Amino acid sequence: MNTNNSGSIPFIVLVGAPNSGKTTLFNYLSGKNYKTVNYPGSTVEYHTSKISEKYNFNAMILDSPGIISLVPSSPDEQVAINSLYEHPKYGKPDLVVLTVDASQISRHLLLAKELKDAGFRIVIALTMLDILKKKNLQIDYEKLSDLLGCKVAPVNGQTGEGIYELIQILKNEMLSEPVNTNGTDGILVKDSYKKYLIKTYNDIEKIEDEVLIPVVDKKSLEKANSQLKVLNNELKNKLEAPDSYTLKIDRILLHKTWGLIIFFFIMAFTFTSIFYLAVPIMELVSQFFGLLSQGAIDLLGNGWFGNLIANGIIGGTGAVLVFIPQIFILFLILGFLEDTGYLARGAMLVDRPLSKLGLNGRSFVPMLSGFACAIPAIMAARTIRSRKERMLTIFIIPLMSCSARLPVYTLIIALLMPEDKLWLGGIALASIYLFSILSAVIVAGIVNKFSKTLIREKSHSSFILELPTYRKPKLKVILNNAYVNSKMYLIKAGTVILVLSIILWFITFFPNTNPKVDTTGLSKNQAETLINSERLENSYSAMLGHVIQPIMTPIGMDWRVGVSLISAFAAREVFVSSLALIFKVTGSDGTLQNSLLKAMRRATIEKTGKKLFTFATSLGIIIFFIFALQCISTLAISRQETGSWRIPMLQLFIYTSIAYILTFITVNGLRAFGIQ
Amino acid sequence: MKTAAELKEGEKGIINKVDFKNPCSKRILEFGFTPGKEIELVNESVFRDPITFSVRGTLIAIRKNEARSIILS
Ligand SMILES: Nc1nc2c(ncn2[C@@H]2O[C@H](COP(=O)(O)OP(=O)(O)OP(=O)(O)O)[C@@H](O)[C@H]2O)c(=O)[nH]1
Ligand SMILES: [Mg+2]
Repeated sequence: MNTNNSGSIPFIVLVGAPNSGKTTLFNYLSGKNYKTVNYPGSTVEYHTSKISEKYNFNAMILDSPGIISLVPSSPDEQVAINSLYEHPKYGKPDLVVLTVDASQISRHLLLAKELKDAGFRIVIALTMLDILKKKNLQIDYEKLSDLLGCKVAPVNGQTGEGIYELIQILKNEMLSEPVNTNGTDGILVKDSYKKYLIKTYNDIEKIEDEVLIPVVDKKSLEKANSQLKVLNNELKNKLEAPDSYTLKIDRILLHKTWGLIIFFFIMAFTFTSIFYLAVPIMELVSQFFGLLSQGAIDLLGNGWFGNLIANGIIGGTGAVLVFIPQIFILFLILGFLEDTGYLARGAMLVDRPLSKLGLNGRSFVPMLSGFACAIPAIMAARTIRSRKERMLTIFIIPLMSCSARLPVYTLIIALLMPEDKLWLGGIALASIYLFSILSAVIVAGIVNKFSKTLIREKSHSSFILELPTYRKPKLKVILNNAYVNSKMYLIKAGTVILVLSIILWFITFFPNTNPKVDTTGLSKNQAETLINSERLENSYSAMLGHVIQPIMTPIGMDWRVGVSLISAFAAREVFVSSLALIFKVTGSDGTLQNSLLKAMRRATIEKTGKKLFTFATSLGIIIFFIFALQCISTLAISRQETGSWRIPMLQLFIYTSIAYILTFITVNGLRAFGIQ
Repeated sequence: MKTAAELKEGEKGIINKVDFKNPCSKRILEFGFTPGKEIELVNESVFRDPITFSVRGTLIAIRKNEARSIILS
């Protein structure tokens, strides 16, 4: 195959079967930190990077989603194939590095054969040799290299051993003239392809017999040699037997009755621990921001500047930053689940019920990652083969309770829970999650009924998934993943939310900065409260608020909640910032969150004098957040992944209307029963 | 004619052929279910569908409907 980007730097594409260690290798080569987990299909988009400078090799490397063969079956595989044949930016690769899981060579060599037959220049990186070693087996690299006609480099994905040697091989390959392989892309012609597969697998079995050798110490080497024939058969059996621990664990986790109970238990544990584990740490962070904000007022005075710093910046962003521990724990738990290898089992368990709703077992992982953020979740749906099932999965992902909603729920739960029954909070949060899953299931069922008009796709449904071997999760990888995601949350708080907080502060503070009020006979605190509320009443935000008041009154809320709801369309967390700003929260009541809660408990609706945050309206707010599609990035990614604006616009319209209508029903329904 | 879908938990069988007419036959072959290979049904799971096979040292979960295209000898 000719290379067509000579002149520019070498372009190397990393491909391999799902879960074979591509991203792990890519991270070593590039010094980057992409997510690696024990689930086939964790990478769904390609990433490129220059090879890290320490290797002194100027080349571009591309990580791709896992593929089983050169004939793609789903969009994520198409991404990988595209970068093999013609990358939009870098053209054809000069070299292909293929990761082959040594403990599964019998399956993973298929791709090696296909790549060779299609005329690619390949180098094989053998991974997971440690796992093979546990079966007392090893591979004769030289022989494998001879039989396949390409270089073979063992690499250790856990320690990074062998990376330098791999780089050396790549350098040499780049120097040598490309051998003229007369590959034919024609091997992949539809009809004969299946016959080609059978023949190739036969060839691979012969290779396998030759390259697999037992791990033996010197003493028993002679003995082994004399018994080679016998050993060989035994060896094969050993290799063909799946990991015995995995089989044992599966006997429990996939048990006919226990399996489902354990599944629900794992899910319940995940959602409640987000609350219980985080609360004590959140308290500390909240205290810190409370002190900071109060300190700023004391230091800078209560003028506009002091107010901007204490309330606009520290109060506004602090209100969101308080939730960092929760976000961290959420990602920690999800990462843990992902890295054990359980997720593929989860997908298998729910395939049957989900298929009744027009979804697929493969929808499970995208839906679960929707609890972190809808954007990677919608992209993860690429692993679903049937287009209809994929569209439907994308359709309901915005209903999964993403981490941006967590601050809102936690705040409202804290508002509703009696001080002495805080433990109820975890159950309340888990119920919200359960409710959002149920809603998603119901919506999926309904949309599926009308799929002819709404989804407009029909395709064959199937489910084939490799169940990876269980592994002890790698704490370092999980911590790192949680750290990266928390950092993203921090960055979001430091940019989008900071800017929005300042804007919100501005419209709640101006134009009437120094309202004239009669403060005679009032204590300093009372006078301040009066001034604050007078200023807010005449602010720009109030003017805006009065325009939307007619929409808010039916759902029992006032313009202040309305302004917060609207600003939450920029980012859901801003709802909390906005309340902190409107209620002029500083740390005067110990922690930042306590001051906010106090102010919210005191708040009344001006016209009626009734309490603003009653049980009914608080529940209403939760319902609103469960359904409303308040995230512009979600719409953009949904447009990208579905190929048109039709589905994102339907999502925006349907979900936001459902949110409003159900909030209306909740608030007024509860009131009709005498619950305020 | 017995298919892989009719195996019982823990039962083994040797693949005779894969029915090319099944729309998933390509995928099934690619995953290594090729004629001559021995497979074992290792797990029936909660709803008895999908079912897990051990093939070439790996566990593969597939739906019963797809397993029907794997014909045993
Ligand atoms: N024991 C062992 N584990 C490894 C090795 N290399 C990678 N892993 C682990 O294998 C799992 C999969 O690795 P990834 O790098 O995410 O695999 P991938 O090929 O990018 O997978 P997809 O993106 O899903 O196609 C992770 O849990 C890794 O930590 C290795 O050499 N030995
Ligand atoms: Mg990957």
